[in-house]
Amino acid sequence: MICHKVRRKLAEYAVGGLRGRTRARIEEHVRDCAACRAELAALERTGGLLDSVSVEEAPAETWAAVQREMRGTERVPVARRVRWAWGTAAGAVALAALVVGAFVLGPMGPAEPQLVVATEVDEEMQATIEGHLSAVWAAPLSDEAAVGLRLAVLEDDG
Amino acid sequence: MRGRALLAAAVFALAAGAALAQATAWDAVWRSEAATAGTSVVGRAHTMVVEDGRERSATALVHAAGGKVRFDYEGPRRRWSVIDDGRNLIRLNPPARTALVLPRPSLVLDRALAERNYVARDAGEAPVAGRPTRLVEIAPRRKGPVARRLWLDRETSFALKREHYNAQGRLTSATEYEEVDFGAPVPADTFSVPEGWTKVEPGGQGPRLTVHELSARIGFPVRPPRYVPGEYVLLGGYVQEWGRWDIRMAELRYTDGLRVLSVYERPKGEGPPRPGMAHGRGGRHGDRAGRGREGRRDRGGGRGARSGRHPRGRGGGSGFGPPGAEVMTLVDRGTEKALRYFGAGLVVVVVGDVTADELVRVAKSVE
Repeated sequence: MICHKVRRKLAEYAVGGLRGRTRARIEEHVRDCAACRAELAALERTGGLLDSVSVEEAPAETWAAVQREMRGTERVPVARRVRWAWGTAAGAVALAALVVGAFVLGPMGPAEPQLVVATEVDEEMQATIEGHLSAVWAAPLSDEAAVGLRLAVLEDDG
Repeated sequence: MRGRALLAAAVFALAAGAALAQATAWDAVWRSEAATAGTSVVGRAHTMVVEDGRERSATALVHAAGGKVRFDYEGPRRRWSVIDDGRNLIRLNPPARTALVLPRPSLVLDRALAERNYVARDAGEAPVAGRPTRLVEIAPRRKGPVARRLWLDRETSFALKREHYNAQGRLTSATEYEEVDFGAPVPADTFSVPEGWTKVEPGGQGPRLTVHELSARIGFPVRPPRYVPGEYVLLGGYVQEWGRWDIRMAELRYTDGLRVLSVYERPKGEGPPRPGMAHGRGGRHGDRAGRGREGRRDRGGGRGARSGRHPRGRGGGSGFGPPGAEVMTLVDRGTEKALRYFGAGLVVVVVGDVTADELVRVAKSVE
């Protein structure tokens, strides 16, 4: 199978909707194709996100309307069909945004930076602390003798 | 009626007395600054600092005259000297016979700012180096523990002993003269680099600039933090260069009259990435909300944090990789804490004697 054919079936595969030979072919392709593997991973992440959304029971009236639609017992006026089409398109766009969001932001969105307490200093930290200590040396009521010792300790630790 | 008048007079007398005592204590403090600049002194002092929870100490031979000062240290492992000749800070390394010469920062002594933010009060007297002294304590006016304790020589106002406390009230440094000789002759070459030594002049601080001038000089738009602790005011902007490490940053320097807060900035992704050098203590992790699980709590502000090897050097945080990988690095030296924050387009390092929470707040306000 080639990529574009696999991708057409990938969403269905991701939710466990394929069986038999088609499923086996997709599995075989995904094993060898990194791009389709990444696509599948994204779809599975999206599926995971959707799973985390709570499901609410639709009102009985909605189900009745759907069943009437499926049986073709009710002729839907053109205006309502257009609205339905717009609704479907909007839903597709929302889903696409969700998928793109999952790709760009990862499953949790942008994280608050973590605070790491470092016990040794790298060059930039050493440089800035040294610059700061020089200013502290010149500050009013400075303990210059102590600042001179601290500069040496910083140099030893760096 | 007469009783009320007497009470008012008593209250007035008390208030006036307190104000006078304040003024007298501050006068003594400022006289000590002048004495340090104007007195010829030869002495021996013991100095101690608490850095990263450990006490380090050394004995220093002190020479001071004409506003210049030289400390020759003898520590447990090595000897070194620091000279302040009024223009430069010179660090002498005797084994290598090298002198690191850096421009001395100039800080304007703003008495009004110091007296607005701090109170000075007499706290007794005690002999130091065999001389009678007057103990003056300086504490924040609004709230907070004592910041400085000074033992001022009764005769010369020279500070014979000093204790410095950080914003959390922990003793971070102390210097005490064991011997002192006022008016002793100081040889003229005391404050010069010895003949035949190699001078290393790696850059250091440029002239004082406005934010606009600093942006033009350093080549990127410098952004002042929208938040600094209320008592701090901007002193100026400086281009800082550390030639030893090929580091160049913009510095905005703030002061509350006594303490200094430095905000360094550089564009994100500038400079080659280097491996991080910060090694952890094997600490535990805090969660995203800042609640520590098992690890040491940050001494500065109770923010949950993890100790660990920093994943990147100074070139890190260039905008590549997932946003969740960004970290803030905190170095707590005891008095000063330094925090590096990877902001939007800028890397910000804030150094000062404030809580870790305040550092984070300042760094995050640079947007």
